[in-house]
This record gives sequence, C-alpha cells and structure tokens, in this order.
Amino acid sequence: MLQIKPILAALKRHKAGTILIALQIALTLAIVCNALFIIQQRLDRIARPTGMIETDLLTLQNRWVGVDDEKTGPLIRADVQAIRQLPGVEDAISINSYPLRGGGWSTGVRTNPDAKKSETHTTQYFVDDHALATMGLKLVAGRNFRSDEIVEMDPKAVVASSQIMVTKTLADKLFPDGSGLGKVVYVDDGTKPSTIIGIVERLEVPWNSSWSDTFLDNAVLLPYQLTGGGTSYMVRSKPGQLAAITKSVPETLYKLNRMRVIPSERGVRTYDVVRAQAYKSDRGMAILMGVVCLVLLAITAAGIVGLTSFWVGQRRKQIGVRRALGATQRDILSYFMTENLLIGVAGVVVGALLAIGMNLWLVTQFEMARLSLVYVAVGVVALLLLGQGAVLAPAMRAARVPPVEATRSV
Amino acid sequence: MFAYYIQLGLRSLRRNPLLTALMVMAIGFGVAASMTTYSVFRATSNNPIPDKSSQLFVPLIDNWGPEDAAQNKGEPPEAMSYTDAMGLMRDHRGKRQTALYPVAPSVIPADASLLPIRESSYAVYADAFAMFNVPFLYGGAWQSADDEAHAATVVIGRKLNDKLFNGANSVGREINLDGRNYRITGVMDTWDPQPLFFDPVNTSGFGDPIQLFIPFTRAIDLKMATNGNNNCNKHAGEGWDAWIRSECVWIQYWTELPDETAAAGYRDYLRGYAAEQQRSGRFHWAPNVRLYNVPQWLDHEKVVPQEAKVSLLVSLGFLLICLVNTVGLLLAKFMKRAPEIGVRRALGASRKEIYAQFLIEAGTVGLAGGLLGLLLTGVGVFGVTLVFDPDIARLARLNVSLIALTLLVAVLATVLAAFYPTWRAAQVQPAWQLKSN
Amino acid sequence: MLKMTHLSKVYRTEVVETYALRDFNINVKEGEFVAVTGPSGSGKTTFLTIAGLLETFTGGEYHLDGVEVSNLNDNARSKIRNEKIGFIFQAFNLIPDLNVFDNVEVPLRYRGMKAAERKQRIMDALERVGLASRAKHYPAELSGGQQQRVAIARALAGSPRLLLADEPTGNLDTQMARGVMELLEEIHREGATIVMVTHDPELAARAQRNVHIIDGQVVDLAEDPRFHHAVHAARNNAPA
Repeated sequence: MLQIKPILAALKRHKAGTILIALQIALTLAIVCNALFIIQQRLDRIARPTGMIETDLLTLQNRWVGVDDEKTGPLIRADVQAIRQLPGVEDAISINSYPLRGGGWSTGVRTNPDAKKSETHTTQYFVDDHALATMGLKLVAGRNFRSDEIVEMDPKAVVASSQIMVTKTLADKLFPDGSGLGKVVYVDDGTKPSTIIGIVERLEVPWNSSWSDTFLDNAVLLPYQLTGGGTSYMVRSKPGQLAAITKSVPETLYKLNRMRVIPSERGVRTYDVVRAQAYKSDRGMAILMGVVCLVLLAITAAGIVGLTSFWVGQRRKQIGVRRALGATQRDILSYFMTENLLIGVAGVVVGALLAIGMNLWLVTQFEMARLSLVYVAVGVVALLLLGQGAVLAPAMRAARVPPVEATRSV
Repeated sequence: MFAYYIQLGLRSLRRNPLLTALMVMAIGFGVAASMTTYSVFRATSNNPIPDKSSQLFVPLIDNWGPEDAAQNKGEPPEAMSYTDAMGLMRDHRGKRQTALYPVAPSVIPADASLLPIRESSYAVYADAFAMFNVPFLYGGAWQSADDEAHAATVVIGRKLNDKLFNGANSVGREINLDGRNYRITGVMDTWDPQPLFFDPVNTSGFGDPIQLFIPFTRAIDLKMATNGNNNCNKHAGEGWDAWIRSECVWIQYWTELPDETAAAGYRDYLRGYAAEQQRSGRFHWAPNVRLYNVPQWLDHEKVVPQEAKVSLLVSLGFLLICLVNTVGLLLAKFMKRAPEIGVRRALGASRKEIYAQFLIEAGTVGLAGGLLGLLLTGVGVFGVTLVFDPDIARLARLNVSLIALTLLVAVLATVLAAFYPTWRAAQVQPAWQLKSN
Repeated sequence: MLKMTHLSKVYRTEVVETYALRDFNINVKEGEFVAVTGPSGSGKTTFLTIAGLLETFTGGEYHLDGVEVSNLNDNARSKIRNEKIGFIFQAFNLIPDLNVFDNVEVPLRYRGMKAAERKQRIMDALERVGLASRAKHYPAELSGGQQQRVAIARALAGSPRLLLADEPTGNLDTQMARGVMELLEEIHREGATIVMVTHDPELAARAQRNVHIIDGQVVDLAEDPRFHHAVHAARNNAPA
C-alpha cells in the first residue's frame, strides 16, 4: 500500500494498457453479474417443488378416435380400472392436466359472490378419490373426496362443485388467518358456492412460464371425471416397477381399445422426463451462462496475464534499478499486485455501474427481476481476486529479476 | 509485398506462441459464442414469407372491453370470437381472407392393422392456400364453393401422403378422419414456414410442418373444438352452441390487402365494424381495433424467444470483451517489437508500410481465430439443443453463409481491434530504439 | 569500509567456466575516492556489481562496513543496498514512468521513511545537484547531464556510506561530464566514500587512488611505472 501514488503516476504513463485492462474487468463484471443472476433465477425455478412425490410416477396422454367427446366417460373409466389392476401399479387416475405439463384450466376465485373482481387466480384439477395417493399429495387438513362424491362431467359444461379441496397456499391467501377449512368460496366466476373440505400441503399449477408465477401454488381439486376427446393419466408404480409399467400400461390400453392415439412424442413419459423437458430451457440457459462466465473469466485472466507479462518484460530494467536501490523481492511483488489492484478497483467500480445499468435495461426489455446487489458484491470480489491471481505469476517473475539487470545495457 | 507481410505475420505468430494462442482463443471463443447464438436468433427472427409479409394482415377487435384490455396494455384479445370472425368473413372486405384454428382429428389408416395417427392440423378457408403461398405437389386447394357447401374435402402434406399412399398422387382419393371420409383435393409440397407466422398464438411460433387442412365450415359443423387456446372473459354457458355464440376468443383471422390504400381502407372498415357493434349494443365501448402485418404480428406475439435475445446479447458482450482483450494483447505483441519497427523505419519503411504489415499480421491472427471459431461454432450449434426447444434448435444450422460470416466477423473484428496497436506501432520513430535503451 | 579478500566470481555456461574475478583483493577505506580502471572485459563491472550486492560471488570474502555479506539473504542484501549504498549508472537508469521527484523518492520509499522527511531529503538532494526547479519534469524532458545529476541526487538522498559509480560520464559529452565529475568531487570532499569504475584515464587521475584490473585481478599500480606516466600525462593535459 505504501506506493499508491507513484504507481498511479506510472500508470498515467501507460494509459492504453491500463484502460484496456480496466475496461475488460468492467465489462466482464457487468456480464458475469447478470449471468450469475440469470443462473440463480433459473436454478430457483428448477428447484420449485410440485408438491407431488415425483418418483415412481408415470404420465400418459390419450386421445380418443371416432368417439363423440360426450361419450368417452365409460372408456376412461375402463382405462383407469384396467391400469389399477396391472401388476406393479400402486394407483392411477384420469386428470385434465398436472404440474409442468403446460396447458390446463385457470380461473378466478372469490370469497364474496357479489365481488366484481376475483381475489386471486387458481388452476383447476379434475380428479377422483385416488388423486392424493397417485400424485403423492399430503393432506394437511380436512378429508379426501369419497368415491360416491365423484361425478362425470362434460368439459364444456363444468360448473362449480359443492365440495373442493384446495392447496394451503390458496386457502391462506383467501383466509389469511388460516381458517380456510370448511369455508365457502366461489370458483369460476359463478355464484354456486364451494365448501373447502380438504387442504393439501402443496400442488403446483400446470404451467412453468412466468405468466403463472403469481399463482404458482394455487390449485383447486374438483371431484369431477371429465369426458372429452383427450385426457391425461397419472400412474404410480410400486417401488422399482416404473420401467416395467412404462411398457405395460400403454400395451394394456391399446389391447383394451385400439381407437386411440397415444402420441409417440410426449405420449408416455415418466415424471423425471416431464420435469427435465419442462425445465430444459431453464437448465440449458443456466449451463450456457455458466459456460459463458467461466470462459469470460478465463479470457480476462489470460488478458491480464498477457498484458502484465508484457509490462514486466518492458520494465525489466527499471525493476533491476529498483532492486539496486534497495527494493526487496516482496516490494517488487507487491508493486505489481498493488498496481493490478488499483486497475481492478477502477474496473470494478465502472463494472458495477455497468452491471446495474445493463440489468435495468434488461428489466425493461425482458421479464427479468432487478439485480440483487449481492451478485454485484460477489462479482466484484471474484474479479479482484481473479486479477490478483492472474497477476501473481508475472509479478513473481518480476520479483525474480536480479538487481544486476540495472547494469546491463538494453 | 502482401505475400511478404503474410509471411511476416505467420512468422510472428510462431514467435510468441503463448500470446498468439491467447489471442486466437479469445477471438475463437468470442466469435463462436456470437455466431452460435446468432444462428438461433436468425432462425427465430426469420421472415417466413418475405414476398407477402407486408400484404398479409391480422385484424384484432376488442370484444372484451377496456377493463380487460387494461390488463394487456390496452391491446384487444389476440384471437377472435366466432361471432366477429364470421362477421368479417361475411363482409369479405379483403382481397382474400380466412379464419383458422387448430383442430385435432385422427387419421384412421385404411390398413386396419395400423394404429390411428395424429398430425398437426388446421381448419381454414380455401383462400388460405393462395394467401400463404402454399406449394402443391399434386392438385391444389379446394374451391370456395366447397367452403360454402361445408364439403368433406382435405389438403394433406407430403409427409402424410408418403405415409398413407407411399408418395403416389392421391388427389381424388379419400382418407378417414375420426371415422368420416374426406376427399383429397391437393397434396402440399414441403411447406415449413418458420416461424409459423399464421398462428404464433397457439404454437408459440415454432413446430412441425402442418400435414392436414380441412374446411373451417366443415370443422364447425362437426363441432370440432379448438386444439389450441380458448380464452373467455366470462362463463361461456353450457354446450357447443353457447360457446359459439359466446365472447370466448379462439380463432385466428387473416386477410390479404395488396397495398397501403387497401390496408388503410380495411382499418376504416374495422373501426366501422366495431362502431356498428357498439350501436347495436353488443360493445359498450368505443372501437378498439388493430391491424398487424406479418413482421408486426410476430413482434407483437414475441415470437423470438427471450432466451435467443438474452443469449445473443450476452454473446455480443462476450465478443466485445474478447476484442478488448485482443487489443491489449496485440498492443503488447506489437510494442515488444518496437526495436524491430525502429530498424524497419530506419531502413526506409514508411508509416503506411508499417500499418500494412501489422494490420495484415492482425488479419492472420483473426483468420486463425476464425478457424478455431468455426470449429467451436460447429460444436455450439450442436449444443443449441441444450438450451432451446427441439422445434427451435432444429432451425439453427451451420450453413455456408454462417461459415462465411464467422470468418468475416473474426477477421474484421481482429483488424478493427488492431487499429490502435498498429497506430502505436507506427508512431515508433525510425531507429529511436537504437539510440538509447 | 569495503574489503574483498581472495574473492572470485565464475560464470558457468554448459561448456565453459569463465573467471570474471580471480583471487581478487581490494580494501577501500572510509572517505576514500577510488577510481577503478581496466580494459573492457577485465572485470571492472563485475567488481562493481558484487561490491554493490547486485550479484553474489563464488568464493572468498567480502566485508562491507565490517559485515561479511556472503551469507546474507536477499532481503538483508536489499536492505544494505538501500541504506548503505548509492548507485550511479552509466545509463542513468532513471525510471521513465516517474518524474524527477518520484525518481529520487524511490529508495526512500523502500526505507519506509515518513512523507515529510522524504520530501525534505528529496528537495535537499535536488538542491544539491541544482535541479530543484525540475522536480515535476519527466526524465525524457531532461538533457543527459541533467538526468545523471538526478541519478546522483537519487543516490545521495538516502545518505549512503558508499557511492558506487559505473562510468558515470560514459554517456555524456565533455562539458556535461566535467560538471558531473565536479559534483562527485564535491560530494567526496563532504566525506562520502566513492568507488568509480571508468576507462577514462583523465577521470581516473582526479581520484585519490587508482586500482587497475586486468583479467579479473588487481594489478598493483604503485609498482608500475607505466601507470605513473599515464597519470602524469593526464594531469598535465587537464585544463586548469
């Protein structure tokens, strides 16, 4: 630290190199901060729980062929019965959609039927009494549907159900004092009341795009079995039987009735695959940003090594003179380390401003959150350390310049 | 002289292998990152129908009112209700027009041992084929009369024709959709506009080529529900008829307007239509209509994925940093040779010649970086499947123009980066280095 | 002050060993002004770099101000250079990135001196060499003679016991060389010990004592009539 002023004086005589290193540090900081932030956001999304037990879970998409949409009820019931009786199958349901599938029902909910605007948004899952066991949901209050409560329903004629289960998040949103169980709510803009008979700990909506972020864990379970042209099946296997039923379930369905389409793509998916496909671009983006960060840091470090080595080479003579005038090896080392630190500090100050500016711009252009200053702080420390690390090798080479260098000509 | 400078450049590359390797890698990585993401961006921001993109228009009519529009920056719903689509079709104000929506019929093969298949399908009017420049291998579109007759006709894609008829001319033959027979009027040649401009609302802009078109009027007769989004601002009521009459929006509408005058006329017509709906008491608000051409519509629907834009931006930043890095390293490399420059100057080299020598040297570095970048771009284009939907990833290709662009960007960028270091090198005084140390 | 006994310095390459100094003996007393002469390649500069602790030696002993230096580590040697020795180089060796003031300050910085004292000493030293008004100039803006006077100021600022000069006038024209020489003589009169390497007999003649090196060994000049002849000739030629 003892030599800041003369170092600054010397740097003033090497403006180009100084500015180039500082600029590189600044730009790298700006990009690395935002990239880290994007990574963290994406990882946060990927880590969101669905509320289900995701192991031993199979999903299928089924579409009926040549049957009127209203007449598919018995076919679906037969399918579910057949699947439940298969060896290796723990339980199974027919459902309109499921978390991370994309595509589903959403509607408003209100506690007062006369209110003009709904209080919050929710998704609707149409299930029977096997849903909790099949999906692996945790009932935290109240009771499950009874089998005698399940009703067949045309999707174009869905009305509110008198009995519903909801997620805890939705119950607490509508009744912040936690007294949701047994209360009446109004779903789907209707005036028909629905009583909350059960509360499940958590269940995500089917979408994972940002538009549903405001009601991510709001779900209503209705005791309806929908008819219609297409349906989803969810099947829970006995432990370790997932691979076996992934083959046996579609085979059984085709054997039961050939007039159906189970798409070759996305028709039969274990839930691991559903999750991987749903978060593919999030994970890819995180990996891409991670790679970009690493390569950027490596290139910046290489740039610092390159330029500092050049400076050391250029200043061998004056290093020798300094050594002759009494500088210890440590003095020389600390000269170059301090010099780099000064450039680094200038770089990170500019870089931090750039990072924040870049983020503000991204916020206006894309649906992105404000950059947390923690990332800037982490980036600043990382780049200063990177600079010190990068300068270490050339600085040590400088420290090893013998004092006798002072007496050599050229 | 040029050859001599190239030779000098190559020799110099070998002289400082570490510095050279650093520069080549920086340029290679920077260019590769930019080019890879650019390939995706280029594919997603492609103009899918360049000759007609300014003649095809999507009209939007606000049938929900300002309260709902306020939640969407005042924009009308991005699809149309059946009522409005039929109203516009009836008035027939464009040169051509079609309402369309995705349907999901299953094809039942004649061979009973085969399972039913589903292809992506749309219900359209006969005008659609001429509007969208759909190419035909055999036959052609059905007639407008077929629309009016709600005829059981169909246009199929080449892939489906290969599957069902082994590629033979199937015009006039029949296929079975959901148990009903349809007469084939035409087989499309490969038609794969990307983005799928005519329905970004239901496809997010990308997807497999459409293999099946049936008449819109027929699909409505058969009560085929939309296979895409259906949005309602209030409960539609029970059953098909209630839905058809409701304000739920689920239809895409396109019209062809040959010139600016026609477009202006159509805008007036839309306002008039909405005003008429207001007078008749259906709308309780002033006309709120839009008319978007293809590029405007794709932009409005944000078809270019956010990932493509963000990663392109990040990559460009990356390239910028690599260039700053290159400026620094070139400066080091050139100034190391100040004595050589002094001697050259003393021996009669003009400033211009020093410029030429060092810029060409930088160019060789850029070319080497470009070759590395090309290799990495190849790897990157494969890696695109990691980040993007398979539907989008398949569009990113390493073709001749991308190869040429990669090399060009690498060389140009490096030469650009070399200007300052070269200027500094040219400032070295003749033999200044000989005089003192 | 400076005493070398049986000192040797060997440069080894893969094939040959070259003795730069061989059985080298010299004793410089406090307050002496010694000129070291000899043909080029004789070992003059090697002697000076070893004397200044810029290089280590291969064998023998070297006492500097009563301290045997052969076993000192790099840090201790740096400290001695900093506190006891002042260097004046043929090529001045000012640091081009620093202005005159900052150049003179360099050794004081390494001594960890307080800012006020540093400033005092720098200005005193610059005053002494007559360049106080040029403190803010950069070396490139000064003439050769001025640069060398800055280098002398830098050597003096730390009040060294021993001043080592390597061809201090070698890069200067006669006029400037004379000025520098007069400055050195003045410094010597004020009590400093000076060892100056030169190949210029005229300069050597102005020193108190001459030491002649040939092939890495000291030749006793008191016994060599050729030397006396040369010295007399130089003295007679010197302008009054």
